[in-house]
Amino acid sequence: MTNNAIVSRVENENVLVLERVFTAPRELVFKMFKEPEHLKRWWGPRGWEVPVCTIDFRPGGIWHYCMKCMDQNQGDFYGMESWGKGVYKEIDEPNSFSYTDYFSDAEGNINEELPATDIVLEFVDLGDGTTKLVNRAVYASGDALKTVMDMGMLQGISETWDRLEEALQAAK
Amino acid sequence: MSGHNPGLDMTTLSALSEPNRKHIVELLRDGPLTVGEIADKLGIRQPQASKHLKVLSDNGIVEVKAEANRRFYKLRPEPFHSLDSWVNSFRRIWEERYDNLENYLRELQSKEPLPHPNNNPNEEDLQ
Repeated sequence: MTNNAIVSRVENENVLVLERVFTAPRELVFKMFKEPEHLKRWWGPRGWEVPVCTIDFRPGGIWHYCMKCMDQNQGDFYGMESWGKGVYKEIDEPNSFSYTDYFSDAEGNINEELPATDIVLEFVDLGDGTTKLVNRAVYASGDALKTVMDMGMLQGISETWDRLEEALQAAK
Repeated sequence: MSGHNPGLDMTTLSALSEPNRKHIVELLRDGPLTVGEIADKLGIRQPQASKHLKVLSDNGIVEVKAEANRRFYKLRPEPFHSLDSWVNSFRRIWEERYDNLENYLRELQSKEPLPHPNNNPNEEDLQ
């Protein structure tokens, strides 16, 4: 169905970069990220729906959402709710915006035990009605990420998905 | 997203943020070492090296293996696997989202095609 593959790389040792081209004008792609009615339609990973999504789209504003697993084939995840909270930093519509992504609960309390991620989304107009979306995620601990990379454990990212599944099973 | 987080432990990250401990982990990548060898290579005193090794050991990053009358420290793979899984699960979540977004954008645009991306003051109509 999808022709545009995701491209990933690591910059400056602690920034994971994901890129993907969408066949849609930049303004429209940007809008998909700032309006709850749109976000609810695609934000959940496979098998996860987004029953709650509130947005105050301005610097310092809060984005609070719930993802719920509706896929019975996902075992223990089925029925699980996962709450996230974003705090917007800079907004430069329609070029880019940035936010800090936290794990939270239904009341919006931040879970300090789990890592926060700084995310910058850049929307590049490629002309011809397509848009390149560049997602930069800065990890809380660059040293730790670099150590992982150095240890050669990220080779063949797609191959490791199988191992991720095993890890998820093992973590239950 | 926490539903997709395979047990990443923040203590793993903080234990590695101390420069000497990070050095120790880098040294141990080449194979097991004794506390004396580690102290020598880092140019620190043995009690200091022991202290760092204890923190790494308490966090499950290294383990001790006794051989004859010597004690060797070696890396445990588990914490690195969970960091690795965290990175990969992050990427996978976004990939799944982007697949959804691609399909959703197609759906939106087939309903109401845009005249031209740069010449569309009324795009609010798309809602």
